[in-house]
Amino acid sequence: MILARLALRNLLRQRRRSLLTLLVLVASFTALSLAGGFMAQTFQGLSDGAIRGGLGHVQILPTGGLEGGEEGSLEKALEGGETLAAKLRQDPEVAEVLPRIQFMGLLSSGPKSVAFLGSAVDPTREAAHMAVADRVKEGSKAPGGAGSRWLSAQPEAREVILGIGLAKSLGATVGTSLTLMSTTKAGSLNAVDVEVVGLQDLGLRELNDRALTVSLDTAELLLQAEGARSRLSVVLKQPQRADAMAERFARELPGTEAHPWHQLAAFYQQVRMLYFAIFGFMGLVLFLVVFLATANTLLMSVMERIREFGVLRATGLQARQLVALLQWEGAFLGLAGSLTGFVFTLLFRAGMNALHYQMPAPPGTSHGYELFIHFVPMVYVAAFLFLQTTLQLSALLPGLKAARLRVVEALRHV
Amino acid sequence: MLQLLNITRTYEAGGEKAGVFDVSLDVPSGQMTVLAGPSGSGKTTLLQIAGLLDEADGGEVRLEGVAVSTLPERARTELRLNRLGFVFQAHNLLPVFTALENVMLPLQLRGLSTEEARHQAEAALASVDLTPRLHHRPTELSGGQQQRVAIARALAGRPAVVLADEPTASLDQAHGAPLMDLVHRLAKERGVAFLVASHDPMVIGRADRVARLVDGRLVALEVRP
Ligand SMILES: Nc1ncnc2c1ncn2[C@@H]1O[C@H](COP(=O)(O)OP(=O)(O)OP(=O)(O)O)[C@@H](O)[C@H]1O
Ligand SMILES: [Mg+2]
Repeated sequence: MILARLALRNLLRQRRRSLLTLLVLVASFTALSLAGGFMAQTFQGLSDGAIRGGLGHVQILPTGGLEGGEEGSLEKALEGGETLAAKLRQDPEVAEVLPRIQFMGLLSSGPKSVAFLGSAVDPTREAAHMAVADRVKEGSKAPGGAGSRWLSAQPEAREVILGIGLAKSLGATVGTSLTLMSTTKAGSLNAVDVEVVGLQDLGLRELNDRALTVSLDTAELLLQAEGARSRLSVVLKQPQRADAMAERFARELPGTEAHPWHQLAAFYQQVRMLYFAIFGFMGLVLFLVVFLATANTLLMSVMERIREFGVLRATGLQARQLVALLQWEGAFLGLAGSLTGFVFTLLFRAGMNALHYQMPAPPGTSHGYELFIHFVPMVYVAAFLFLQTTLQLSALLPGLKAARLRVVEALRHV
Repeated sequence: MLQLLNITRTYEAGGEKAGVFDVSLDVPSGQMTVLAGPSGSGKTTLLQIAGLLDEADGGEVRLEGVAVSTLPERARTELRLNRLGFVFQAHNLLPVFTALENVMLPLQLRGLSTEEARHQAEAALASVDLTPRLHHRPTELSGGQQQRVAIARALAGRPAVVLADEPTASLDQAHGAPLMDLVHRLAKERGVAFLVASHDPMVIGRADRVARLVDGRLVALEVRP
């Protein structure tokens, strides 16, 4: 502990130099923690978006259901999917099961017809667990205007929610009557008249131009589905169990495959890879800057203290204790840099968040979002450990230099 | 008691040999032995070998009857910490520590608790009359006071031997003489073997034994009653 005290005094002796070094450390910590916080926030947003956008935590599909190439309605389907859903809801780890049907067809306003991609969902259960209902119902701010609402729970209601692009191409708004046309499960043509009750903005232009949502009862009538479902979105009580539960479902349910949400959220995966690459590069640059700056400072201070080290060694300090002394100096620099950097991060964060800055829409998405830097303790701990590791490495070189000094030569130094 | 047996340490410089050659010398406890000789005669070289700071090319150093010169560096450092004390010409002290902290440092390195170390360091500083200066930093002390702190540091751990290289060289006569009187008295009181390298007649005049070196060789050993 006496070495720690000596290290601290040495840093305080070279106040100006220590402050300059500290500046580098504070800047690095702040940069890392803000970037890390922004990254964590983005991941959180994207994963929430994927899970609450319909995937749930685990998706159960018929075997081969991911490969596509479906020609008719419900060609690849979970037969008795509704029954399976009811059974899975009894599982103690499952919070909810949302069966859904994916189907294709034509949507007609009479004079004009447009191809669509349909999703059929359970209006009540969906609204309780997914974000889509909220987006449709947001009063006058909703894409469909003040009169829009989510699908009603009445089994006999024949209603549709349209992507904003799809509505535009048909000139439809809330209240418009349209006709859905598709092939039934058995392969014959069928049509159902529906009323538009709301519009939705799914965030992706391509989706908004094609997507529509109806109730399972409406789809059942149109497709003659007889309880078959395309997939089940499972919401878990403990989200972090997604991987384990997917494995369990795959094992226990023959004729199906099950995937945790992140395997199916391609966008999430890509952004994650991209951010990790950017962050890794930034980390490397900061590592070099911090390493060189602190190694230089510590080396300079070693050169100035050669005589002192000679006396210390003469009076019985072991060579390895000189290495330890330099490591203490690095550790104190890192601690001071991290603490100050943390305060800076909090101030900066408060300032940025108070600005309510609007970020532009990311590529492929249709709307921007407000910048909000989250408080992420993990990121601050990581930035602290990063600085400490870097400093321990950069203190090693000066430390070994000090330890290798021959005592008699060091004593001759003035 | 420190014994030097046939110590040889040679430096080759420009075809000429320098250093110390075949020096044997006893440094008894409770006495002040002075290594005297002109500049370049090998005083520092011999002192550093005796203090286990440097290794001889030949010969042996015995500390309290045990051959210590062949021990590995780690063990020699440990002996310096536990059995030896050092006083150099100047810049003996850590500038960032107070007088008290400088004296406490080797005690704490030995594993003494802060309380024990403080207690012993205060006693050592009292024995060199520095009680009123405990919390001064070296820059706030005179040269003579700094040397007294160094002596207190060397003595605080109750060493067997204290080695001093030109301890008065950076002091004037008025400060040097009382310092050496103090060293002489403490050597007696504590039974410590003091080995002092110096060409200062004032220092030599206060010695119990004077070993004279010329060109690295011991030419005379004067033992005073
Ligand atoms: N590291 C070294 N390399 C080469 N020669 C050295 C070295 N150290 C000492 N010498 C030589 O050894 C001889 C003895 O030097 P030493 O320092 O022991 O003398 P000294 O008696 O202490 O002199 P002074 O009174 O000036 O301090 C000198 O000739 C010196 O030049
Ligand atoms: Mg000398």
